[in-house]
Amino acid sequence: MLAQSRLGKTALRPLVQSRNLFFLPTLASAATGFFLRDSIRLANSLEDNVNQRKSSNDVILEESEIKPYFSRPAKKYPNHIPLYPYEKVAMFVTSAIGAFLHPEKNQYIVALGESTAIPPFLKRLRKQMLDDETGRQILKDRPNITSTSLDLDKLAALPENTFGRTYYEWLKREGCSPDTRVPVRFIDDEELAFVFQRYRQCHDFYHALAGLPISREGEIAVKFFEFLTLGIPFAGMGAVFAPLNIRKSQRDRLLTIYYPWAISSAANCKKHLINVYWENIMEKDVNELRDELGITLPPDMRELRRIAREKRRALQANPSPTP
Amino acid sequence: MFRRFFATATKGANLVSDVVIVGGGPAGLTMASSLKNSPILRDLSCTLIESGDITSTLQDYYADPPETILNRCVSITPATIEYLDKIGAWKFVKKARTENYDYIHTYDGLTGAAMEFDSPDMATMIENFNIQASLHQRILELNSEQPVNPLDLRDNTKVVKITRDPKTSWPIVQLSSGDSIKTRLLVGCDGARSPVRKFARIESRGWAYNQWGVVATLKYKDSGFRSPTGWQRFLPTGPLAQLPFPDSWLSIVWSVPPELAVVLVSLSDDSFVTMLNAASRLSQEELDSLYDLARDEPEKLKEEAEWRLGLFNDNLTAEQEEKFPPMVESLVPKSRGRFPLKLSHADDYVDERLALVGDAAHTTHPLAGQGLNMGQADVKSLVSTLEKSRERGLDIGSKFALDPYYSERYPYNHAMLGVVDKIHRIYSTRSPLVVWARSLGVDALNNVPFVKDLMVGQVSHMKSTK
Repeated sequence: MLAQSRLGKTALRPLVQSRNLFFLPTLASAATGFFLRDSIRLANSLEDNVNQRKSSNDVILEESEIKPYFSRPAKKYPNHIPLYPYEKVAMFVTSAIGAFLHPEKNQYIVALGESTAIPPFLKRLRKQMLDDETGRQILKDRPNITSTSLDLDKLAALPENTFGRTYYEWLKREGCSPDTRVPVRFIDDEELAFVFQRYRQCHDFYHALAGLPISREGEIAVKFFEFLTLGIPFAGMGAVFAPLNIRKSQRDRLLTIYYPWAISSAANCKKHLINVYWENIMEKDVNELRDELGITLPPDMRELRRIAREKRRALQANPSPTP
Repeated sequence: MFRRFFATATKGANLVSDVVIVGGGPAGLTMASSLKNSPILRDLSCTLIESGDITSTLQDYYADPPETILNRCVSITPATIEYLDKIGAWKFVKKARTENYDYIHTYDGLTGAAMEFDSPDMATMIENFNIQASLHQRILELNSEQPVNPLDLRDNTKVVKITRDPKTSWPIVQLSSGDSIKTRLLVGCDGARSPVRKFARIESRGWAYNQWGVVATLKYKDSGFRSPTGWQRFLPTGPLAQLPFPDSWLSIVWSVPPELAVVLVSLSDDSFVTMLNAASRLSQEELDSLYDLARDEPEKLKEEAEWRLGLFNDNLTAEQEEKFPPMVESLVPKSRGRFPLKLSHADDYVDERLALVGDAAHTTHPLAGQGLNMGQADVKSLVSTLEKSRERGLDIGSKFALDPYYSERYPYNHAMLGVVDKIHRIYSTRSPLVVWARSLGVDALNNVPFVKDLMVGQVSHMKSTK
């Protein structure tokens, strides 16, 4: 008997270890797993403290519960719309095409601005705010610029030379209001969303300070200036691509007058513009403020456009001037 | 006249001792008690020389330990404890002032990639003084067991000069007390700037890390029970380690560039605590602004740091809370200290009638907590080498008899210094590519338990071969 069992062992060992049958142990454990699957599941659920006393009704209920096909992650702030990465990419592509073809449509501009405001840029902007006393104050106060918070009637009553009055006059001339700014929705971090919101709301102050209109041409000039001072990627894209889509005379005007103005103003800018607490300096003299920030007043764009238009009309009315 | 003075001094060694140990730190005291504990070596006459006043301070500590944890602390491995137990010193350790911790949580300051280690008896936090005092007690006990040939402990004594006897080439140690001792074997346990190593003209190679270690003792806010955990955050400025002690005490080692170390040490106690809490939680950009503020307008630091911490903590879920150390509440006044960090490794540990042990032979970055443990393993190896050569009838001071110690310890120590240095390098960069790669690596490693166990085994349960 002893001899027999020994024989059995020696016969078995080469069988298992032989090269062709190396998969046997794997197969054996898989088979064992298959036959013991219920016991294994029970053991696992015991180990994981899963409630064992579920009635069959509970199980049926649980399985019949319809799970939503698509669900959004939780919001981080009231206006937040959390997007999945593929949605962000899709938003970037569609808004970029839309903004190029239809720059007058606000929804494309807003979406493109937010989809290009990727965290590294916003974090750098926040770092610049954290490094500055006023910037920190802004981050703490979280001011929201609206027509009520600014009190436009009060601004209208300010003396001619103040910044507040200049801003008010500019709003009136361009026919817009601080309430037209859309809240930030797609930036995932709550504080970074505020930083971007602040940038967006301060955009009109740069317009007012430089006296540039909200026409396509004026926007491009301000965007280029913003890119140079604040480093907003979207503003840079606007400065590079938007001039491709405008009339040649406008492009020439931008390249000869307003781009040089933006470069020299940005180079001389003494304070990081995100760290200016605009709401608190409404009563300041506007020229004093320009000097303080190092921003010069560019030639009036509306005036230049008017002159160009008159020349063109004169040319049309009298195509071949008599010698 | 000078020549004549030195000549007589050199010749006139008025004492002879088989072994002279220079330095009464943990390594020196372990060496002394280990020699006197060894049945093979205990009949050798042995002298320990220490410049500080250790007998009375260690006795005071042992008789009446201070209320707060002292700022010089180390993490010791089970292997070190085992050895201290073997030489009979562990029983004198004040266990209530040590903390055995099973968890280490490391996380990346730039990406948050975390790695958790857990293993029973990972390591034990202990004050340097606690180790020294227990070894001192053991030496006193051994001396009373063996009154004929006790260990000659000379503290408050400086080594003035070391020369060699021209005839026998035995080292002669001249002491500030006027005595000079001729010795068969001189053991240098005298720290990183070892005079013994300089006397032997053994080159020590390495480089200074552009960092200082800031140490301090603090107390956590009482926020319910958490199992004792060692925390380490790898910031680009250097790692910040928070190590647990009983009663919510903690000891920190915060490695920072020298200029930042100066700023941190000069902050007020409250501001320092806030800054520490910020450094264990906030992002690197926020910390950079806070460091600038600490340097330029320290009076504003506390308010700004608390504002940032408030924002951070408000957004933290209970689950995320677990991934950060508890908030620190207070700092023990005057417990802050700083010291420069460097890597150095002596070319040789032994020479004719001379051996180097511990920091005298090698220094390392504290990020892995291996410095003292490597020294203890050195002592263990040296003593067993001496035992073997004594049993074989060799002259224990000869280089031939000492060489096995060097060949056993050098490769191991060198590998450890190298690994720690590489970790330091990988973590002291801000290069996005390296940061991305290291975070990916950490995330991957964190999910491979057997690799982690291997790593823990390497640093925690290291046992030098007998």
